[in-house]
Amino acid sequence: MGLWKGAVTARRYRVVGQVPQGWREAWRERLDAMAFREPTGTTGKEELEGWVQIHNLLDTSFSRMDRWLYDPFAVFALRVDKKTLPAKLFSATVEKRCEAWCAERGTEKVPAAVKREIKEQLEEEWLARALPRVTLVEVSWNVRDGWALVGTTSEKACDRVRTRFHRTFGLELQPWSPLDFVEDAGTRSSLVASGPSAFGGEA
Amino acid sequence: MSAEATPIPAHLGSELLLWLWWTSERLEGRFDLPAPAGTVDLWVDDRLAFRPPGDTKVTAVLTGENPAHTLEARAALAGGKVVQDLRIGLRRDDREFSVTLRGAGLDLVGLKLPQVLSESPDEAVVDRMFLYEEVVLVVAGIVERFAEARAAASWSRETVPAIRAWLRGREAG
Repeated sequence: MGLWKGAVTARRYRVVGQVPQGWREAWRERLDAMAFREPTGTTGKEELEGWVQIHNLLDTSFSRMDRWLYDPFAVFALRVDKKTLPAKLFSATVEKRCEAWCAERGTEKVPAAVKREIKEQLEEEWLARALPRVTLVEVSWNVRDGWALVGTTSEKACDRVRTRFHRTFGLELQPWSPLDFVEDAGTRSSLVASGPSAFGGEA
Repeated sequence: MSAEATPIPAHLGSELLLWLWWTSERLEGRFDLPAPAGTVDLWVDDRLAFRPPGDTKVTAVLTGENPAHTLEARAALAGGKVVQDLRIGLRRDDREFSVTLRGAGLDLVGLKLPQVLSESPDEAVVDRMFLYEEVVLVVAGIVERFAEARAAASWSRETVPAIRAWLRGREAG
């Protein structure tokens, strides 16, 4: 998104719900509770997600408010880690291991159960040494005015942030609409009810 | 602002972008927007994208210097395509911005903000967020102006024919 520098690409949301008294302390606790946790053991292909500071994706503590709360803005990022394996190389290696299994036993075919076991073993081996692909989506929340920017326009990534935001704060990120800026309700209704204009547009 | 978000129909989004393009040429870039946005200079910048009506996929992208005046832009409009992305430049007081307005939701994409001279990173974040909101303020003013024009009786009688003539003029080159 570029909170610090560079161009900003973001979707704007309203934050719907009640912000509690003493929200600063409450948000600190909730961000810490839903922060990214480095896995303690070997991880598989599952995605791991959690909040991190915008300063560095390895900073996962929100105990220092001056690292994430710049009144009226609370800023943090959703980190998502996912390990993937190179599919073609993986298949080729499985085939080679199957050939080796056949050669050892003087047979021509590998039983399905054995092939599955070879695959699972190889996957486990490779995932243990694979580094995850890490994505980050920044969030900037104006707590005072009740809106937030999510630093992407990808539907999937926005939905993931919205879900975690709700689980963390109990508040909903509701998509902003340009028509929200139309003050007059009658004008808004007539615009929504209007059909396409006939100048070669969406007619 | 309304209590509930009102989703904008897709055709209104593309009409707004086309109207904005037309208006920027008609007014020679000078917009008087409702308060608090006030007066801004606005021009079509270096990127335009078109899609077929009723579709969401972009089928023509024009970039470079002044794409709004190219034959390709005319051809896209003449062929019935609608505007999906409009990159605009904005000047408000002494601050200059550049941003792509994308799709019916008018997502702000690739927004370039003026340089901020903050001493600390946290100040920089806050300053940049306030600059972001300044652009939102301008977009709100544009939407208000469009809504007034679009809901007026003169829309079908005068505005649509004028835009049609403008399109024909562009076709004629």
